[in-house]
Formats: sequence, structure tokens, C-alpha cells
Amino acid sequence: MTLALSTAVAQDLTPAGLAAFDAACRARGLDGLELEVDASGDMASGAIEAQARQLQSSGARVLALRSERLVRSCVPALARAAAVLAAPVSVPARAVAVHALPELAEAFADAGARLLLSHATDLDQIVALLPAIAEHSTLGLAWDVRPASEDLEGRGAVLLAAREQLGLVRLYGGGPEQREQDGRGVGPLLHELAMTRYTGPIVLHPSTLAVLPRWRRWLSSRGSAGCGAGSPLTRDGDFELDVRDVEPKDRLETILGGYRALEPGATLTLTVDHDPICMYHTLNATEPEGTFTFRKLDDGPEVWHAEVTKLSAKA
Amino acid sequence: MSAIELDIRLVPPREKHPTIFRTFDALAPGEAFTLVNDHDPFPLRHQFEATRPGAFDWSYLEQGPAVWRVRIGKQRA
Repeated sequence: MTLALSTAVAQDLTPAGLAAFDAACRARGLDGLELEVDASGDMASGAIEAQARQLQSSGARVLALRSERLVRSCVPALARAAAVLAAPVSVPARAVAVHALPELAEAFADAGARLLLSHATDLDQIVALLPAIAEHSTLGLAWDVRPASEDLEGRGAVLLAAREQLGLVRLYGGGPEQREQDGRGVGPLLHELAMTRYTGPIVLHPSTLAVLPRWRRWLSSRGSAGCGAGSPLTRDGDFELDVRDVEPKDRLETILGGYRALEPGATLTLTVDHDPICMYHTLNATEPEGTFTFRKLDDGPEVWHAEVTKLSAKA
Repeated sequence: MSAIELDIRLVPPREKHPTIFRTFDALAPGEAFTLVNDHDPFPLRHQFEATRPGAFDWSYLEQGPAVWRVRIGKQRA
């Protein structure tokens, strides 16, 4: 499985800007980028192909291309760009007419590339597309998943119908938007993709333009140690630590750092947005027996509080 | 057949561990999946040891600095 970030997040689309974007993706542990192009006019086709060749020679990791529109005159250049980058192109299914699919399939076959038609979490839409797509090995499906606005309850049927042709999954969310998508079906979807042995690309894309600044901050923040919202209390050296705004990857160090800073007899009160039982098991395995107590104050479903008390050294 | 891969980086915090255990529990004995994460998931390992002792094996395929991959297998009964 490969994870890519859409260049919708990039601020600078020049070759140097995209190289810096790719480097930031790498530092974030992402496998590459999805290049947004505009295949909507005669002027565009030459530019798309030139950009693809430039990116290919610069070594940028382009895992997919996407265009919102597709006009006929751009098709050969877009297919060549995809072949140069060895990456599939996706366009919204509504951007192409079903009767044009054989011609598109042929153009992509000539270039040695693949065209994916993107669809929503909508079984009817997929069922309508499948007969035309199944005839051509150079055509496939790209699933646009929008947890903020879609009901993902139907994801199982969509996955069953689309799985054979599924060449890409695009998640409008993840990254800095993870927390808002709690309970919207992302966890079960990832589980089901894993169990059907999907190992193709997953592209992350901001859910709306309004959240772009948060994505840019997220991408540039890399892995600085999350400091959390810790505040020492005056009484007895106790600490309160709310890690809900700390990135998941930085939470453990934040919590352990808080615990280590405790004086014997003091208590760390944790506020988290997931079951903190994993912290109990971790302390149990890493701290000497009988040196702490752990108590859940409440048990979700959205917020959990727990108290960890470091015990006084035995006399 | 290709591998079972679960990229937990995309999953909201509250759903992460339940999703991982759900995937592990769905494995057949002798099967394994690859967990992909953006930090060392060792707290999860302690949770596995506490809740599924002796039922799993754990081996790192990649250990940072940006990505961790762990092969988590289900022991044959």
C-alpha cells in the first residue's frame, strides 16, 4: 500500500516548489504525491506533458495524476504524461461520456497507461460504470471517500462491486482532519480494504478549501515533539495533561514525559479521545511492579480521563 | 495473493486500536498482516500481550524515522 498527498495542498506548483513538497511528504512518511493537472484545453496538453517529463527527470515521486475535467484534445498528452510517470490518471466519472470510453481506453493503451474513473460511495454509480470498464484493461475505478459528507454504511457493497477494478482510493480527510472523522466509518473502511488485500495507492486530499491552511501546517510540522496542553498544578506537584490536540504519534512521549516528571506521590491526570488502557499496559510493562496506580475516571465514548499516581518509594 | 496491509495513520485516534484488533481477530491461524504507522506502536504490543497472550507474533519490518511497519501474525492454534 502506498500513501500519497494531493498537490492541492502545495502552495508553489513550480518544479522547485513541487520538489520541496515531495521532500516534505517524504519527511512525513508519505510515499509520494498525486499531481493535480487541468486537462481542459489545447493550451493544457503541452504543459501537462512537459511538467510530467520535468518531474520524472527530477526524481519526484508521482504516484497518481488527477484532472477535474477531460477534453478530447488533451487525451493523448495526458496519457503520455501518465506513461512517463508510470502512474494512473483519474478523472471524475461524470467528466466522461460512457460512449467515449472505448476511444479513451484505446488512447491509454497506445500510451501504455491506465485511466481511472472516480466515483462516490454510491453502488448505483459503480454498477452503471462496470460493464463499460470491465471490457478494457486500461480502464479502472478510483473511489472518492468523503467521510464528512457521505454515509459510509454502504462501503461494504461498494467495495465488493468495485474491488476487481479498484486502482486508487482517495480519502477526503485523514491527516489533520482525523479527529473530526471519528465514528464516520474510516476505521472500518481501512479494515475492510486490508482484508480484501487492497495494496494500491491511497491519496489524501483536504475535505474542503477552508481546511487547506491546517494541511499546510500539518505537512510542515513534521515530527516536532508534541508538547501537549500540559499544565502543572500548584498542589503537590500534580499534572494535568490533555493530549487530544497532540498528534497521535507524539502522544506516548508526551504522556511518558509527564509521568517521568512526577515526584513520588504526585498524580498525572490525563484527558484523551481514545481508551487509555493501552497506557496502563505500557506502564505495566515498562515500570517496576508496584510503582504506580492507574485509574480510569470515566470511560468514553468520546472523552476519557485517567489518573496515574507515582507511588512513594517504600520505606 | 497479495498481503493484508492496514495503514492506521488514516484512522481517527479513538478507532485506531479497535481497528487493529478487529483486523487481527479476522486473521486465520497462521496468517499475518502488516501494520503501517507513523510512530513505534509498542504500547499496542503491550496491549496485545495483556489481551492476547501467546496468540500473536510481532516483527518489525521498518523502524522509522517517519514510518514503522510491523508484521503481526496469528499463531497456529
